Amino acid sequence: MTSVQLWALLPLLIATASIVATMLAIAVYRHHRFCASVTVGGMNLALIAVVYDLITGDNLAVPVTGLMTVDAAARFGMVLILVTTLGVLTLCHAYFEGYKRNREEIYLLIGLGTLGALTLACATHTATLLVGIELLSLPMVAGVAYSMDERRAIEGGIKYLILSAAASAALFFGVALIYAHIGSLDLSAMSQALSAASLDQPLVLAGAAMMIAGLGFKLSLVPFHQWTPDVYESAPTPITAYLATVSKLGVFVVVLRLFHYGSSPISPLILTALVGLAVASMLVGSLLALRQNNLKRLLAYSSIAHFGYLTIVLAVPGDESLRAAGVYLATYLVTSLGVFGVMALVSSPMGERDAEHIDDYRGLFWRRPYLTSILTAMLLSLAGIPLTAGFIGKFAVISAGVGAAQWLLVGSLIVSSAISIYYYLRIVSALFSAVAAGSERVSEPMGWAQSFGGLMLVVAMIVMLWLGVYPQPLYLLSGQLAQH
Amino acid sequence: MVEFAFYVAGTVALFSTVMVVVNTHPVHALLYMVLSLLSVAMVFFTLGAPFAGALEVVVYAGAIMVLFVFVVMMLNLGAKTVAQERSWLTASGWVGPLVLSAILLVQLLLVLEPLQTTAPIGTTVIDAKQVGIALFGPYLLAVELASTLLLAGLVAAYHLGRQDD
Repeated sequence: MTSVQLWALLPLLIATASIVATMLAIAVYRHHRFCASVTVGGMNLALIAVVYDLITGDNLAVPVTGLMTVDAAARFGMVLILVTTLGVLTLCHAYFEGYKRNREEIYLLIGLGTLGALTLACATHTATLLVGIELLSLPMVAGVAYSMDERRAIEGGIKYLILSAAASAALFFGVALIYAHIGSLDLSAMSQALSAASLDQPLVLAGAAMMIAGLGFKLSLVPFHQWTPDVYESAPTPITAYLATVSKLGVFVVVLRLFHYGSSPISPLILTALVGLAVASMLVGSLLALRQNNLKRLLAYSSIAHFGYLTIVLAVPGDESLRAAGVYLATYLVTSLGVFGVMALVSSPMGERDAEHIDDYRGLFWRRPYLTSILTAMLLSLAGIPLTAGFIGKFAVISAGVGAAQWLLVGSLIVSSAISIYYYLRIVSALFSAVAAGSERVSEPMGWAQSFGGLMLVVAMIVMLWLGVYPQPLYLLSGQLAQH
Repeated sequence: MVEFAFYVAGTVALFSTVMVVVNTHPVHALLYMVLSLLSVAMVFFTLGAPFAGALEVVVYAGAIMVLFVFVVMMLNLGAKTVAQERSWLTASGWVGPLVLSAILLVQLLLVLEPLQTTAPIGTTVIDAKQVGIALFGPYLLAVELASTLLLAGLVAAYHLGRQDD
């Protein structure tokens, strides 16, 4: 390996080193804040390494041993992954302060998962794809089941373990079938085979179907979505945030490489499958969210719908839709992080049970005015109200869809958004509803850890509003995704 | 000859895997599972990947055997257990796996017989040296990442398997 390659891999090396450092810190002495800061420091260094490459213009594609390529798209993905991970880590610190048993392993698990996501962002070979996907899911099994005293957590962990293993098996089987046809494990060769798939290639078609099923599970697209609400509900809230953001982001970068970067437009057969998945995800996600009283389940269904919106970009060839994907991902990440962040802080420090029923949030404004304001803004952004980041993301995706005359997809998006406004506003109205006399205006005290998470949320809200008002820099940055 | 061996081993693999799923007795199902792994190893042999076949036997069949040992160790020994084990050793439990593994053994001996034409189905034979060169050459990063994957499994198992103190 040359120094250029090592330099390009620096973020992954730093992330690995920070995992080892956290492990050693835990081995020496279990100190919650210290272990957390070791991981946070490592992830910050990795972020600096990526951003340095991005802004010095040294943005060449560096192939590393044929398994990975660190190109502009990979760097863009890594920035999003690391920033979101840092957000989740601050939430973890506030949340797990109240956990009675070993608190420090969560940072190891999140660090390992993030290493998997970074691997996925750079993957150009199915070997790295497979290892990356496993590295992203396996630590999160322990993350979902982290508070083992609860029966619910164990149940969620087992569900996630078995279902994600089955999805990985389907994905690997699909890869093997396509390999049997083309004789290459490169993602670019796979992508070409996928874009040239026709009815007289049964191996490629069967392989593509299994790969779509496996990846669709990881992105929780309908009809591979059933695990999502259960697992989101049983996981501790910061882990739910991680599952909804970093896990899906890492997989989606690979999906773009597989289904979008081919030189030729996508095969009509696969296009039909993707359109079907997208329409089903948007409509089913929104309709099922209508009847939820549990906020985590509601957000799980809403994330299903959101990834349905995002799937539109896969149906539209060209660089413009990649840019739309970048914009959408960034806005979705900051908004989701904000919503789950407020939920984590309201539930912090971890008590008997997370605040997740809509009744827990009734009249929250009178108890926690600042957090509630952030939550309101974030929910409006999820609904896609103008002047918020969510509007810009939806706008980008719709313009990509309209440009390619994908009217079915755009129509479903509009119907689904209209439905979604109802259930988001239902939460907002609960937040501001009147409460019994005597319990108004009690701002609960916030500890050091909580205020750190609060700071992160304020930053997230500023970023969210800024993106909504002045999205130009994000559009420019998202152009990186098109430079593969 | 080798192609015939491939199809027989494949059939044994399919049959024994179905038996793993439909068998209601866990220990009998495990017997079939060992058999399924052995027949997959045989498939690897016939495809010209003897190293992968040997690994399949050592790692998977070996690991399953360890699982067996654990099951036996966790049982409380006593008169009741003896009766229980006797009831497990009825002919219906072990005749099937025995016959099938005998088939595999005969196959293996036939394929190893040097007088036969034993060219594998695949065009090349991949030996251990080539596997090693591939692992520590072009696939080095995958090996390193797999090691962190093992670390992830270790941390997860440590956290989830810890007893309350």
